[in-house]
Amino acid sequence: MYAVQTKGLVKKYKTKTAVSGLDLAINEGEIYALLGVNGAGKTTTIRMLTCLSKPTDGECFVCGKNCVSQMSEVKKLTGISPQDTAVAENLTVTENLQFICGIYEFSAEKTAESVERLIKLFSLEEYKNSRAKTLSGGWKRKLSIAMAMIGEPRVLFLDEPTLGLDVLARRELWNIIEKLKSKITIILTTHYMEEAEKLSDRIGIMINGELKAEGTLSELEAQTGEQGLENAFVKIAEGGKE
Amino acid sequence: MSKTTAFSQRNLKELIRDPLSYLFCLGFPLVMLVVMTLVNNGIESSTADLPPGAVSAAPTIFQIDKLAGGIAVFGLTFLMLFTCLTVAKDRSGAFLMRLYATPMRSANFIAGYMLPTFVLGIIQIVITLAASLIIALIKDVELNVGGLVLSAAVLMPTVVMFIALGVLFGTMFSDKSAPGLCSIVISLASFLGGIWFDADSTGGFLKKLCDVLPFIHSVKAARLTCALDFENVLPHLLISTAYAALLTVISIIAFKSRMKADLQ
Repeated sequence: MYAVQTKGLVKKYKTKTAVSGLDLAINEGEIYALLGVNGAGKTTTIRMLTCLSKPTDGECFVCGKNCVSQMSEVKKLTGISPQDTAVAENLTVTENLQFICGIYEFSAEKTAESVERLIKLFSLEEYKNSRAKTLSGGWKRKLSIAMAMIGEPRVLFLDEPTLGLDVLARRELWNIIEKLKSKITIILTTHYMEEAEKLSDRIGIMINGELKAEGTLSELEAQTGEQGLENAFVKIAEGGKE
Repeated sequence: MSKTTAFSQRNLKELIRDPLSYLFCLGFPLVMLVVMTLVNNGIESSTADLPPGAVSAAPTIFQIDKLAGGIAVFGLTFLMLFTCLTVAKDRSGAFLMRLYATPMRSANFIAGYMLPTFVLGIIQIVITLAASLIIALIKDVELNVGGLVLSAAVLMPTVVMFIALGVLFGTMFSDKSAPGLCSIVISLASFLGGIWFDADSTGGFLKKLCDVLPFIHSVKAARLTCALDFENVLPHLLISTAYAALLTVISIIAFKSRMKADLQ
């Protein structure tokens, strides 16, 4: 069973087709990077897989559960850290995490255990009593991902997790994502080629709503005859595959 | 902890940690209470020297026994503003989207927005009426404590009505445009609610407009209860309750529709 699978997934908004006939099969424990220029359909794909948007056609599954007909089950299996950090600004780091525990109706013991575990995992100890609005972009992003992990998801969706972060904050977040590798399936969207190269097991390249190429870095290099992900991506985006 | 409790707690914390909510929800009504009492003092002293038989121009509407209920309703209009801002801000960022992806349902969202502001509404009324009682004691104006307590109870539908309006505006408008709209409603509610003038002494279209809208009925229900005039309270209480029920239903429908549209 795949952690994430889509079959001919289509999403149309009036006249615009955001995702067109997408077929994905992502294994459990894999980190899968979705690359594409703005408007390629990456975020729309994630929205459909997290039950935030209904497909116009086709099907999508998370751990074998249908994202439309088994929405409640899918929501329990997934966590999402959106492009915007989406934290409660006037709540402290601990309170934000406790709040999400409450949404999942955790017991007091489980809440305390989960909050402590995630604060440690994301090195948030120093800021645990600071209000979210006082945190820098990097710490807010860490909190946002920690909040996405409260529900103990089997599949974690990270929508441009390092967007707008400085080099140090980005590297720190990469280290955390690497720590999660193989424990959880991660699907991340990014514009940073270096990020996809560093973190992902496989890379999918979306152009105009379609998956134009997919594979490991070396497979994409072989497909395009180019060296490095950036060159391979540009070649695919410009319509040339060998 | 239930989903609704968790969301209510978050919203309550967001509200009570915003200094502006103290300023507008508590400070402003109390300031108006004091200012209008001073205005009333001025009017009373200016008419004190009139010859016997002359018509007094003193608008007793600013006397504390009348003012208390009016200011309590005026304060609740700011509850609408803050409810509206909470909903609109959550919608403008990705915060609601994050929560949509969790097992939360529309009922959890609506109850989570309404419950904490309802609690704040009760606190606000209690403080306003308590301050009114203190002013009444200082000014030696008769104000029945039992009447004040009952008028707080009579204002409960009004609390619900303004919260429902807040949810409705926050659902329908952005965090940029919603506050402007709320300001218009605050002005309308205080003007057409007969808080600052005696609406019954007007006539024609203005009087009809006041009677059609719920605000004056909320104010009158509170004032009459304060004065222990229970015979005439019921029609006003029924109208404000009907408006509260109607606006609550409309705000629930609007929020559910918006949620459905967001998830398309």
